[in-house]
Amino acid sequence: MPAELLRARGVALGYGGRTVLRNLDFTIERGDFLGVMGPNGSGKTTLLRAMLGLIKPLAGTMEWVAQNGGPPRIGYVPQRERLDPNFPLSALEVAVMGRFGKLGAMRRAGRADVEIALGCLTRVGMDRHAHSPYRSLSGGQQQRVLIARALAGEPDALLLDEPTNGMDIEAERAIMELLLDLQQTNATTILFVTHLLSAIQNFARRVALITRDGSLLIGPKGEILAPQSLARAYTEEI
Amino acid sequence: MDLLTVPFMRNVMLAGVLVALGLAPLSVYVVLRRIVFVGAAVAEISSAGVALAILFNLEPFPVALILTILTFLGFSRAADNPRLPLEALIGMLYAGGSAAAVLLIAKSPRGEGDILNVLFGNILTVPLPLLWMMVIAFGVVAAIQYLAAKEFLIVAYDPDMARALGIRVELWNTLFYVALGVAVAIAIRGVGALLAFTLLVAPGAAALSVVGSLRAAFVLATVIGVVATVVGIAGSYWLDLPTGPTIVGILAVLFGLSYLWAATRRA
Repeated sequence: MPAELLRARGVALGYGGRTVLRNLDFTIERGDFLGVMGPNGSGKTTLLRAMLGLIKPLAGTMEWVAQNGGPPRIGYVPQRERLDPNFPLSALEVAVMGRFGKLGAMRRAGRADVEIALGCLTRVGMDRHAHSPYRSLSGGQQQRVLIARALAGEPDALLLDEPTNGMDIEAERAIMELLLDLQQTNATTILFVTHLLSAIQNFARRVALITRDGSLLIGPKGEILAPQSLARAYTEEI
Repeated sequence: MDLLTVPFMRNVMLAGVLVALGLAPLSVYVVLRRIVFVGAAVAEISSAGVALAILFNLEPFPVALILTILTFLGFSRAADNPRLPLEALIGMLYAGGSAAAVLLIAKSPRGEGDILNVLFGNILTVPLPLLWMMVIAFGVVAAIQYLAAKEFLIVAYDPDMARALGIRVELWNTLFYVALGVAVAIAIRGVGALLAFTLLVAPGAAALSVVGSLRAAFVLATVIGVVATVVGIAGSYWLDLPTGPTIVGILAVLFGLSYLWAATRRA
């Protein structure tokens, strides 16, 4: 039986007293490849932010299960549109940020940290662009740099917010195949949030579907993508 | 250079260069964080502090400094609220500070002109103790910027990522805003609000227009700030012009040139 990585029991999530998601009971297992989907505004990003500890549950508990004496390391890949293009940073400087959590306060990244970040850029096929301005890269390239940044923290799990948003089909496939490769080669748990059914359909192993009433259906892809399940989330036929 | 043989001009030059060294590197963060009007808001809050001190017969500058620091402590908390745009917060600090200053001055035993003299320094009359205060305060602020460079970068660029990495975003934002508040309050006391405000915006804006790396932006912003200040002081001395506005004018020209250069490069 696969080991648990994240456990949620009776969780309610929301903002400013408004509950968006309720009665969440689910488990994420180590090595999972889970896609989270749901209509716009259904609470996908809220769920992700709660997993990252950026917002506290209104009720219930959500906890990462320790293994080998310590909590699992989580790599976060935000929506790339959230990052300000005015910052003049190279791809390598962005990737090095993934090391910051491992350094003490007021300690600067050293040569070893830069080497690790460079290795992560190589892993995602971006080493040739290490010294290119991050803001001049294409959407797919920027996404790879952000994945490299998350990998630089040597995570047990990667949490990605809309990783293929705004990409064409080819770029979407390249990113999702990269994630699949990371999951298979490094046993990294992958959880991605998306509103694109194609990414879920083609790549997710398990699916979490946020329904119209704010609950979560989670299970194997075939089961969750069945018409009767989808009908609980979407008003129109998909 | 004959102007440096004039004793008070040495102090003027020293004060100008110190303020430029103190504010120009901060200007890079100020521009990137989109909080350029923070300098104007600080001036109003400082003036409210001075008016308050005079009303209660206290030493004006420490009261203004403490009020500024307290305001920035509150500002750093409110800045993390996603529902409140920073521009609105800065605007209200400006308006609230202005109103408080006017109301307190109205009840003050001393006149408005007197209070403004206490509040807004003139670069030509910087006293020696203030020069020492600048050396210490700007030195501490520069050291904080150097040591906390990675924290200041990630909390400004990607606060969610910072939190996910276990970095205490609120703590580092507070340190940044307090350092900024202290630097600006002392700069205003030394060289006046207009010059302090311009040094808090123009060097960073000009540097970010022309360079492609953050490290280069810090270096170039500092060079722009210092060169404009030195040239402005010398120019004002030789051409018999007001010193602060001369420096501001040079900074405005340098910003315009950098903007044009960047626009030409994009075309």
